[in-house]
Amino acid sequence: MSSSKQNIKKKVKKHIPKDWLTELRIVYRIMMETFNDIKRTGIVNLVIVTTIAAILTIFGALFRTTLSVSAFAHELGNVLEISVYLKPNADAVAVSRRMKKIEHVQKVKVIPREKSWNELKREIDIPDIDNPLPDTLHVKVDKPENINYVFGKIKTLSVVSDMSYAQELAKKIQFLNQIVNTTTIFVVIIVAILTITIINNTIQLVIQSRKDEIEIMRLMGVSNWYIKIPLIMQGALYGFLGAAFALIPLNIVQNMLNNVHKFFLIPTPLFAGNIVIITMFFLGILFGAGGSFLSIKKHLQV
Amino acid sequence: MIQLRSVTKKYKNTYALKNVNLDILSGEFVFIVGASGAGKSTLMKLLYKEETPSSGTVMIGGINIANLPSHKVPNLRCCMGIVFQDYKLLQNQSVYDNVAYVIRTLGISTKEINARVLGALKVVGLSDKIKAKPSELSGGEQQRVSIARAIVNGPPLLIADEPTGNLDPKNSMEVMQILDQINQRGITVIVSTHDSAMVDYFRKRVVTLENGEVVRDIQAGTYEQQ
Repeated sequence: MSSSKQNIKKKVKKHIPKDWLTELRIVYRIMMETFNDIKRTGIVNLVIVTTIAAILTIFGALFRTTLSVSAFAHELGNVLEISVYLKPNADAVAVSRRMKKIEHVQKVKVIPREKSWNELKREIDIPDIDNPLPDTLHVKVDKPENINYVFGKIKTLSVVSDMSYAQELAKKIQFLNQIVNTTTIFVVIIVAILTITIINNTIQLVIQSRKDEIEIMRLMGVSNWYIKIPLIMQGALYGFLGAAFALIPLNIVQNMLNNVHKFFLIPTPLFAGNIVIITMFFLGILFGAGGSFLSIKKHLQV
Repeated sequence: MIQLRSVTKKYKNTYALKNVNLDILSGEFVFIVGASGAGKSTLMKLLYKEETPSSGTVMIGGINIANLPSHKVPNLRCCMGIVFQDYKLLQNQSVYDNVAYVIRTLGISTKEINARVLGALKVVGLSDKIKAKPSELSGGEQQRVSIARAIVNGPPLLIADEPTGNLDPKNSMEVMQILDQINQRGITVIVSTHDSAMVDYFRKRVVTLENGEVVRDIQAGTYEQQ
């Protein structure tokens, strides 16, 4: 076998591992290809990035609102307690021990009838009569949505005379939380569809405009990924830049919500701002690259 | 270097190639001739895997490229230079960039790219046109750029599909002389053409196709040899 024949066999059969400097040069040149592609797309770039920024702003604002509503719900849930009034002669301490064993019960506080009576006497002027108040237990539940369950369990106890909690408020908070969560999921789907469609169409136009060039590259033996990666990176970069532009209006929304938190003395959820920003960039890049990938799969024959 | 065994290429009900058997040795210069529709271009496309044979084997360098998976086709094409009738140059890039394009994708250093590109352009006599755009060049010059691009990676095989098809006789002669010089450096050159004057002038091996079949294979032959 001649040397040229061996040479072909060696090169065609397997990928020849290159040194890191060569690989680095390839990465650099792919990046330059990406920037050149973007440069050639011209003013259309601005339209795409602005549109993606608008979409991501809506998503970011809604996601941040979700976090705030969840914080409100959590905070209100913390103050929601079930007040349990025991029958006379019931052993409050023993009942409280039994209640602690109920699932989702976080804390049970015993308020002896004497204490309640003294407090009441301090607050209003009451004639000197026998203490009519029962022993009371304040039962705290781990999550607002579990209050109903715990309420039902306690109700079955024979020592319980009466009980109460802000049922309507708990239900409303839970309902609001569900609506905001559902809306966020819905918006994420809309964001995904819109971003992927926009990027998909843009990359399709890029592929159409570079059809001859891609054909030449393919015939000359330029590797498939060298043709594809710049296009995928272009889509990802649109997503990234869209997210970066969306930070400006999002910052206004964040400040507004932080002020609402301060007004209601409810702590702003830890890292809320960062979570929104990271998610926005993640989704922007993911949907950008995804849209580009789909377009390549459909329109680029290499 | 190249072995075609019982190669048939069929498009629906039409045979482009029928039971073609052909051996091309390393360092040979071969003209593939025939009338339009004889199967020349299909044969060339099989060699750079733009087409896959309906049956038979196409061995290049000991590999049956008929079975080569699509992701390895770029590796094959990197090992050969391809010249087309319509030059296939990137119109928005300079002569230098056109020639350098493929080797840039291989991660070769800028210094080496420069040396290789200038070397290839010297071979085709276009050292003074490195900054020109293809639209500023004549057809012959554009084809020479295309040849420079084909040899810049030092391939052992050069395939030229109708390289003089769009050129006048003077430019055709220049292009063929360059291909001959390249062959003299040890590169296997396969040229498909229907330019009888060139074939008769250079007196190389001539493989004649008619209706997809090899009807003649003559060393130092002419276009219409009996």
